[in-house]
Amino acid sequence: MQGPLIDTLVRQGVSRRSFMKYCATLASLMALPPAAGRAMAQAMAAARRPSVIWLPFQECTGCTESITRSHSPSLEGMIFDMVSLDYQETLMAAAGHQAEEALEKAIEDNKGQFLLIIDGSVATGLDGAYSCIAGRTNLDLLKHVAPHAAAIVAVGSCAAFGGIPKAKPNPTGAVAVSDIIKDKPIVNVPGCPPIPVVMTGVLAHFLTFGSLPELDRLGRPKAFYGETIHDRCYRRPFYDQGKFAKTFDDEGARKGWCLFELGCKGPVTYNACATVKWNAGTSWPVEGGHGCLGCSEPDFWDGGGFYKALSMPADPLKMAATAAVVGAAAGVAASFANRAKKGGAKAAHETVTLADLEK
Amino acid sequence: MNEMQFLTWVRGPGLDIAVGIFLLGVLWRLIEIYLLGRKQDVAPGRHREGASGLHTVFRRSVPPPGMVKRSPVSYIGGYIFHIGLALIVFFFMPHILFFKSVLGISWPGLPSQFIDLVTVVTMAAMVVVLFDRINKPVKRYLSTFQDWFTWTLTFLPLLTGWLTVQHLLLPYTTMLALHILSVELLLIFLPFTKLFHAFTVFGSRWYIGKINGHRGVPV
Amino acid sequence: MPLDAIPIVAVHGDAPSAQAGLVPGALSGNAPALLREIAEHLRRLLAGAEPAAIDLRAMPLTPADLDWLRERLGSGEVNATLLADGESTIVETACPGVWWVTHRNDRDVVVAEFIEVTFLPELLKAHPEDVQFGLEHLELLISDLS
Repeated sequence: MQGPLIDTLVRQGVSRRSFMKYCATLASLMALPPAAGRAMAQAMAAARRPSVIWLPFQECTGCTESITRSHSPSLEGMIFDMVSLDYQETLMAAAGHQAEEALEKAIEDNKGQFLLIIDGSVATGLDGAYSCIAGRTNLDLLKHVAPHAAAIVAVGSCAAFGGIPKAKPNPTGAVAVSDIIKDKPIVNVPGCPPIPVVMTGVLAHFLTFGSLPELDRLGRPKAFYGETIHDRCYRRPFYDQGKFAKTFDDEGARKGWCLFELGCKGPVTYNACATVKWNAGTSWPVEGGHGCLGCSEPDFWDGGGFYKALSMPADPLKMAATAAVVGAAAGVAASFANRAKKGGAKAAHETVTLADLEK
Repeated sequence: MNEMQFLTWVRGPGLDIAVGIFLLGVLWRLIEIYLLGRKQDVAPGRHREGASGLHTVFRRSVPPPGMVKRSPVSYIGGYIFHIGLALIVFFFMPHILFFKSVLGISWPGLPSQFIDLVTVVTMAAMVVVLFDRINKPVKRYLSTFQDWFTWTLTFLPLLTGWLTVQHLLLPYTTMLALHILSVELLLIFLPFTKLFHAFTVFGSRWYIGKINGHRGVPV
Repeated sequence: MPLDAIPIVAVHGDAPSAQAGLVPGALSGNAPALLREIAEHLRRLLAGAEPAAIDLRAMPLTPADLDWLRERLGSGEVNATLLADGESTIVETACPGVWWVTHRNDRDVVVAEFIEVTFLPELLKAHPEDVQFGLEHLELLISDLS
C-alpha cells in the first residue's frame, strides 16, 4: 500500500492501519463485498491527487460545512483535503482575479479529467443575473466548465434538485444542475446537508474503480440512497404495532414511539441517516425526537407541511365554501328551470274535450 | 412528475378540487330534488298499521319473503359489501385521522387486522356481485355503462387502499397517491351517478312510504 | 413552567434491529448457514485460496443471532486490540483461522463487524514502510546510546 495519498496521510499522523480500517468500514457501508475494502485501500492510497473544481452557486455553505467539519479530525475531511481542490471560493486562499485564474488554469491542465463538484442551484431568471461570481452568472460558468469535466457531483439538495431556492414561488428561476447539463455523468448527493461519508464514498469509488457508483432513478448512489429512512428506522417496530406519538411532549414521544403522525417523511425518503447517523454516529433527527423532513427528496420544501402526516390532506376545505355556494345556487337555478319547464308544459297543454274525442 | 410530487398533488390541489366538486354536486342535487315539490294530496288519509314513511325506511332494508332464495347473490353479497364499505371508510384508524384533520372530530376505530379482513371479504363480495351481473342474462340486459362504471369507481379505492397497506405491487408513495386519486374520482362522480343513493336512499324510501301510507298501503 | 419540571426519560441504547421483519430478541435462523459458509472458506484457505471475509452488517442477522454465533465460535488464544481512530478488536475464535473483527469509531460506536478467514488478519501485519520508520527510530535510539 503505497502512493501519494497514503504518504500524505501518514505525514499527517494517520496510520496505515487506520486507513485500512476506514476503507473496510466504507466498503461495508456501501454494501460492497469485503474484498472491495482492500481494493479501495490500495487504489486510494496510490491515487494521484485528482483535480477537483468546486463551484458554489445558490447555496448556504451548509454542505461545505457538513463535509469539512464532519467531526475533527475526520478522515473524510482529510481525504477531502487530499484531492487537489483547485477552486473552491469559500476555502481557497486566493481571491479576486487570482482565484479566477486558478479556475481557468485547472480547467486547462486537467481537461476531461477533473471532477466537478457543484453545490447550490442554478438561477435562470433574468438570464441568471440573480447569482454571479466575479461578474459571471452561475449559468454561464456552469456551461463553461461542465463540458471539460470527467463527471459532475451535485452536492446537496439544491444542486441535485433545486432545493430551497426552487421552493415556491421560486423568484430566481432556480433549477438543478441536471436540468442544464445533459451530456455528462452526474451523481446527485442530495440532503440538506448530505451525509459527509456519502461524499467520500463517491470519491473513493471514483478513485478505486475509475467509474461512478451505481445510481438510482434520481441519480443518487444506490449504496446510500437504496432504502427509505422508514425501512431502516429503529422506531419501525412501533409503526408496525400502531404505536404513535401524537404530540412532541406526550407519553408516546417520551417512550420513543413512531413519529409518523407528527409528519415524519421517513416512508418516502431515501437516505442513509438511519444507519450512518450524524456526528460520528452519535444520533440523527428521528433519534433526536423529530420526524424526518425528507430533505434528500425533490421539492421537500413544498411537500405540504413538515408536521402534517403523509397520509393527511394539505387543506381539503380550501374550496369548500365556494363549492357549497355554487352548488346551492346551481340547485336553486335547476329547480327554477324545472318549474319553468313544468309551467311551460302546463301552459302548452291543450284540454281534450268530448268534441275532440268524437272527431 | 416524480412519485413525491404526485402524492403532493393528490393530497393538495387534487383533493381540494375533488372535495369542491363533491360538495357542489351534493348540494346541487339535494336542493334540486327537494325543490321539485309535489302537489298536495287533498284526499283524506287512510290510516293503516305499518303504512308510513318510517316503516318503509326500515322495511325495505329487509328482503321480502322468498327473495333471498331467489336471488341470494344480490341480497347477501349486497349486504356484505355495503356493511364492509361502511366499516372500512368510517372505522379504519388512518381514515378516522383523516376525518379528524378535516372535521376536527374523531371516534374509536377498529383493529387494523380486522379491517384488513373486512377489506378482503368486501372485495370478494363485490367481485361475486359483478360476476352475477355478467352471468345472469336479465341483469346483463338491464345493465348500462353507468353500472359498470360505478362498480369500478367503488372497487378501485378498496383495491388500491389494500395494496397500500400491504405494501404490494408499487412503492408505498405511489400506491398511497393512487389510492387518494381513486377516492378523488369517486368523490367527483358520486353526486352525478347512481352512487348518489348514498344520500337519497332513506329520503326516497320515506317519500314513497309516506305517499303510499296516505293511501293506506304499506310498501 | 420551570425547565426541570419537564421529565427526561433516557432511552436505552439497545435499539431494536432496524431490519424489517426481524425481531431483535429472537433468532432468525440465518446464523447456522453462516457456520457452513465459514467452514467452506476454511477448506478453501487450506487448499491455498486467498483469505476471505464476511461482512456481518450485510447479513440479515439479529443481535440474538450474533450472540448465538459468538457463543458457538467461542474464543481462542489470540485477542488483539487495535487503537487506530477508535478501538478495534481482532479476536481469534476457538476455530483457529477464524477471526472476529469489530471496528469501533472514536465514540465507541460499532461501525463495522467482520468474520475473517485467514492465517493472520492483514490489519495485524506491520507494513514495510512502517517497519522502515521503526528501524530509523531504533537506529536513532542506538546512536543516542553511544
